[in-house]
Amino acid sequence: MADLNLNQIHKSFGALEIIKGIDLDIQSGEFVVFVGPSGCGKSTLLRMIAGLEDVSSGTLTIDGKDVTHAEPSERGIAMVFQSYALYPHMTVAENIGFGLSLAKRPKAEIAAKVQAAADTLQLTHLLERKPKALSGGQRQRVAIGRAIVRDPKVFLFDEPLSNLDASLRAQMRLELSELHARLKTTMVYVTHDQVEAMTMADRIVVLNGGRVEQVGTPMELYNHPATPFVAGFIGSPKMNLYTGPFAERLGCKTYGIRPEHIRVSEDSGDWRGQVRHVERLGADAILYLDVEEASSMMVRLAGDTQLRPGDTVWASPQDSAAHRFAA
Amino acid sequence: MKQSRSLASGIVALIVATVIFILPFLFIALQAVKSKSEASRLNFALPKEWLFWENLVAVVEARNYQLLLAYFNSTVITVFSVSILVILSAMVGYVMQRRQSRWNGVAQVALLMGLMMPPAVVPTIGLLQSIGLFKTMTGMILIQVAYNISFSTLLYRSFIATIPRDLDEAARIDGAKPWQIFFRVILPLLKPVTVTNVVVQSIFVFNDFTNPLYYLPGRENITVQLTLYNFQSTYTSQYNLLFMNILLVTIPPLIVFIFFNRQIVTGMTAGAVKG
Repeated sequence: MADLNLNQIHKSFGALEIIKGIDLDIQSGEFVVFVGPSGCGKSTLLRMIAGLEDVSSGTLTIDGKDVTHAEPSERGIAMVFQSYALYPHMTVAENIGFGLSLAKRPKAEIAAKVQAAADTLQLTHLLERKPKALSGGQRQRVAIGRAIVRDPKVFLFDEPLSNLDASLRAQMRLELSELHARLKTTMVYVTHDQVEAMTMADRIVVLNGGRVEQVGTPMELYNHPATPFVAGFIGSPKMNLYTGPFAERLGCKTYGIRPEHIRVSEDSGDWRGQVRHVERLGADAILYLDVEEASSMMVRLAGDTQLRPGDTVWASPQDSAAHRFAA
Repeated sequence: MKQSRSLASGIVALIVATVIFILPFLFIALQAVKSKSEASRLNFALPKEWLFWENLVAVVEARNYQLLLAYFNSTVITVFSVSILVILSAMVGYVMQRRQSRWNGVAQVALLMGLMMPPAVVPTIGLLQSIGLFKTMTGMILIQVAYNISFSTLLYRSFIATIPRDLDEAARIDGAKPWQIFFRVILPLLKPVTVTNVVVQSIFVFNDFTNPLYYLPGRENITVQLTLYNFQSTYTSQYNLLFMNILLVTIPPLIVFIFFNRQIVTGMTAGAVKG
């Protein structure tokens, strides 16, 4: 349990500046998710917190202690890698206990801590196996177990679920949320998947091009995105965003409306368009419209809609839910 | 049609392999059990008398049991030089693969020169003499290490490239010092290449004839390959004993090769394909 403060953090590789001055205060016990497109610097930022990358300038404190230039092992952090990074030649028990055995702790203590972590993660029956004999989800749990036994002040996760299949990912999201509720440790989680960010985070940090675009709770970001970038990134399916004459006519530089905030009628409305494609997801259906004044538009409808490609329809926004950006 | 053709080509390949590999070995074995006069004819005729045991005893007893001393010397040289080679080149390969610095290019060139340029004998002897290592086992061990380190390092470096860096970083976060990362995480994962390396280098060092001839002269320094000179001279040759000696010094590498054949190929091709 510890606060984590980033103060004007910069990172450059040669002349290329990757992180362009980030200020961030993460409260003790918070689950913070860094989210952003590939190359936005989110993983680099996490690796700087871990101590795997040098900080070019700025200061980093954990629990009030300046750790900007400390070794990873002295920061009181634990990290779960995207590839899990399990030691292939060690059993699950040895993997989990490796850090403790490096610290030359007594064998009985190591065994007890490994057992406790294995109980938490339901790994007890797998302790003698090698990583190659485990499934993806089990490997993931071992990687988390290796983090838990270090009893860290801050957990760091680098896209830990991206190698799992969709159903397992949903299950692990739940398990990670429960783990956070039980341990109440500060957790920093990196992902490019906005669903993971929305479902797990206490607060989301949206990064773009090495800068913080917006920080807030998931619903703050969904309801009040500060920039078109955040508006387009948070929410699924994506918000419809328009620039140019269409937006200017509606009184702004960029106009945004979420697919779920558009009504569709067959006889009257604001914008006329033709149905290009219907994606049926069961409960919902996503309508792709070719609107005359704008380009394409996505609309979310109930799953039982009778519309078919080629139909002409009228779309109208719920005006209170529209987003008008000056940029 | 297709099947019979592949059968025919298989038979041809087997015949060729037999002529190249089995016949010479058979020839050696045959001469080794003949009497001196029969062996001097150097043909495939079966011996009138099978003198296996007599020839064996004669070879081992020659020059006051010199062969046994040679076995001891060769084993010492092989064990020490291969151990040093494995540890040293795994370390060099690890640093070269993992740490990018402007010295990488220099090390790379040095490595390739070690592979391509034949070592010059006379200056090497001069160097060994000036540091007092000429005619010593230590000098010989260091020579073997120096001559083989390039190949061995290349082998390790390409394999280390297939070990994800995440493992190093995970170990670092777990609190491992650099040498602990190497010895506890990386080195155990290098086992396939290490087996290959140990086998290939042991056979090479054990079978080496020319290097001990140049750098390790002297009666007490004899190695197994040099014992072959005992039975061959300008005017008389005892072919039966010579071939018995060849048979004896061929057997240890042959056994190693037969047992580790599969691992050698695994280690050589490891890292070639991801998977």
